[in-house]
Amino acid sequence: MSRRTVALAMLVGLGGLVAGAAVATGAGASSDDEARITLTVGVIQDLDSPNVTAGFLVSSFELWNLQYATLTDKAAADFATTPGLAESWEASDDGLTYTYHLRDGLKWSDGEPLTAEDVAYTINTSRDQEWINHSATTANLDAVVVDDQTVTITSSVPDPKLPIMDVYIVPKHIWEPLSADDVTTYDALDGVGSGPFTLTEWKSGQSWTMVANPNYWQGQPAIDQVVFRVFTNADAMVAALEKGEIDAANSIPSSAFERLGQADNIEAVFGRQGGFTELAMNGMAGGLGDGHPALLDLNVRHAVHRAIDKDVLFDRVILGLGKKGVTLSVSPDSVWQPDIPVADQYTYDPAAANKLLDEGGYLDTDGDGVREMPDGSRDLTFRYAERSESENSAAIRELLTGWLEAVGIATEVSVYDDTQLTDVIGSGKYDMFVWGWTPYVDPDPMLSYFTQGQVTTDIDSVGYNDANWTSPEYDALYTQQNAELDRTKRIDLVHQMLTLFYEESTYVVLFEDADLQAYRTDRFEGWTRQPAETGPVIFTNTSPTYFNLKPIGGDGGDEGGGMGTGALIAIIAGGVAVLGVGASLAMRSRKSRDDRE
Amino acid sequence: MRARYAIGKVLGSVGTLAFVVVFNFFLFRIVNDDPVESLFRGRNLSAAQKDKLRQQFNLDGTKFEQFLSYVRETLHGNFGVSLLSKRPVTTEIREALWPTLLLVGTSTILSMVIGITIGIRAGWRRRSAFDVGSTTFSMFTYSVPDFWLGMVCLGAFSVNLGLFPTGGLEDAGSNATGLSKLLDQAHHMALPAFVLAIAYIGEYAIVMRSSLLDTVREDYLQLARAKGLRDADVRRHHAVPNALLPVVSLSALNFGYVLSGAIAVESIFSWPGLGQATLESIRGPDFPMLQGLFLLFSAALIIANLFVDLLYAYLDPRVGGR
Repeated sequence: MSRRTVALAMLVGLGGLVAGAAVATGAGASSDDEARITLTVGVIQDLDSPNVTAGFLVSSFELWNLQYATLTDKAAADFATTPGLAESWEASDDGLTYTYHLRDGLKWSDGEPLTAEDVAYTINTSRDQEWINHSATTANLDAVVVDDQTVTITSSVPDPKLPIMDVYIVPKHIWEPLSADDVTTYDALDGVGSGPFTLTEWKSGQSWTMVANPNYWQGQPAIDQVVFRVFTNADAMVAALEKGEIDAANSIPSSAFERLGQADNIEAVFGRQGGFTELAMNGMAGGLGDGHPALLDLNVRHAVHRAIDKDVLFDRVILGLGKKGVTLSVSPDSVWQPDIPVADQYTYDPAAANKLLDEGGYLDTDGDGVREMPDGSRDLTFRYAERSESENSAAIRELLTGWLEAVGIATEVSVYDDTQLTDVIGSGKYDMFVWGWTPYVDPDPMLSYFTQGQVTTDIDSVGYNDANWTSPEYDALYTQQNAELDRTKRIDLVHQMLTLFYEESTYVVLFEDADLQAYRTDRFEGWTRQPAETGPVIFTNTSPTYFNLKPIGGDGGDEGGGMGTGALIAIIAGGVAVLGVGASLAMRSRKSRDDRE
Repeated sequence: MRARYAIGKVLGSVGTLAFVVVFNFFLFRIVNDDPVESLFRGRNLSAAQKDKLRQQFNLDGTKFEQFLSYVRETLHGNFGVSLLSKRPVTTEIREALWPTLLLVGTSTILSMVIGITIGIRAGWRRRSAFDVGSTTFSMFTYSVPDFWLGMVCLGAFSVNLGLFPTGGLEDAGSNATGLSKLLDQAHHMALPAFVLAIAYIGEYAIVMRSSLLDTVREDYLQLARAKGLRDADVRRHHAVPNALLPVVSLSALNFGYVLSGAIAVESIFSWPGLGQATLESIRGPDFPMLQGLFLLFSAALIIANLFVDLLYAYLDPRVGGR
């Protein structure tokens, strides 16, 4: 064997490998896709798991919103409770038990009847097995089947969330055979659901496809299938929308948002769902770590609050795409937020900030531009933890540190990824950080995060109270609202809590963020914002858009994307030419060599 | 003692691989060994639920216990379950392997064939217009970052001219089979493969050219010419085979990078390969996936290195000695 033969063998080997790869990726299921009406949605996040007891990424929630109907639904406009799988319900006198009446003739997408058994199975099993996406709702509930169409749900404690029952009901005939250990590792590709669309195929890293469910209780959707296409390059996703390869896109980069808004046949929306970004200060309630003592002084926190110009953050960081920050946002439904008069707000006022610090005895006695503690023991130098996994972090840090410097407060910036930052926060080794939250529709979870119970006192068991702050008054109000069954009274209690939290300024809410989305207006109509006017159109709380969409002018065929025959021929010709030339070169030299030797 | 040389090289590779297996475990746990808190931030989970998740993710127990179980499982070929998808890491990697092999394999063949051809012509006709032109071209493509080239090509050929799709392996949601499926995939692959090929052509051309230039000065080429052989025969049978040696080792080494070499290009073209899987896993962080991927990448490189060493000893008797 000569050296040349070895080289050639390597080339041929690699060629064989490539051919094998082509065959492996080329092999697949079949069926022609006629003129199906297809909605294609661009996303930058793949599913983590279609299994509702295992997945936790936002993409997967969009899948479940479409695949699994809920007992009660939420109005697109304002989250008002509306009938879902249950067409009616009534409460017991003590308000602890609700009896739900299912609609007639409910069926799963595979044709099996959907009954009270499915509901009771989901609620009781999710409670017992602590399913991560269910048990916050079902932990205190017990469901009992009365007959096929009637189920009673009893809460062991007064629960203001009832009669809302928005957990995904799963098909008992699919899930019951799974043991408790197998439930979370089940691949959940069965595609059996009760919502408008059900999963038919998931190509990991590429796309997932959902087809219309003829048995959906509101009727068969007008579009035949929804394809979610995964992009790892958000700019390419924007280009695909402009070209018409996709019909809608979630998570548009803010740099492309304005341009899309001006494009023909494209509507760009920024939708708020209550998500916000805050500057948090360490309140040291858990006793762990070493937060700066000055931050335990309410006046210092107020000074920090007044040193921050939220108008500039709104205009320059989020480019006006969102809302200026005032109080904590605990729900996408703004009814829960108190209206704090401007006169009572800690608006931007560096002079007032300086005055507060001067009066508190935090003076710059050594003339280095940084104030010291009243006893002169240490500078007002705060460790500022910056989160690397947000595109706004650097801009916010530049602005905030500049404003703080202007009132004599120095900062030491460290940048962390999410796991590191969680660790730093849990161990209490920070003075301030900037991060954000996205609340549920019910305000309870967000409110609970600032109670004593969520304070981290043991580093091996980190709670959600990342500002390390507590207040007995806040905790008392929390307990009260969590048992208040009168909505108006509950709203008032929540307003009191948020006003208190605002005054404490342990969190300075910088702004409320928005989801940047865009969709084509020339193929489908019926795009639905949730909540009305201010919310997004896709990836919303209950995702009503997909069922509401109708094709415009009977257009249903496959969208663009097909390549010109010319390009195809060019590719093939090019490939053949390269291989041909290579082969002939190899053969020729081989031949003449053999002749000579 | 050729056998001794070979055995030494093989043992060295096995040792390196063993080191990688151990190192792999600690590499991703230096920063934080418990991603549960950050993964489930704001999900309103109870402490008991978080503990249960840690158990599911094999994050409970002391670090030493975790390490022992990791080594035991890895030696049995079990790389664990992805924290994100809950599917076995081997399944995830197998699915992402073929698209990467297809893309990077194709572009490697293209860049090798074209690069070596260019290098031979340029080296043989030194200072010709072709040499000057091709060397400039090679230097340019050699130094251009592939992600930049990828963005430019995507903007030009896909967005503005509309000749190619904006990414992916095939039309999303397509049920095409057989030839139309292959054509669809070729259409999707054309642009990323072109970018990767361009990015590596320069390397092959430059190495081939300089190696040929060294060979041209050898006495035996003078002798071959003096025998009255045609110029093409001298080149083909006397110069190129001897000059190919460094290129062979470069190619073999590049095989080691085939799996991990396209992270940037895969992410620009949304190509569902190992590069994309790596990025996703880092974002998690998905320890079992990262461990599996890095072990695979390291193993590929170590094996390619071993292959080069053995090949060299075979091709060049001076190596591996008497």
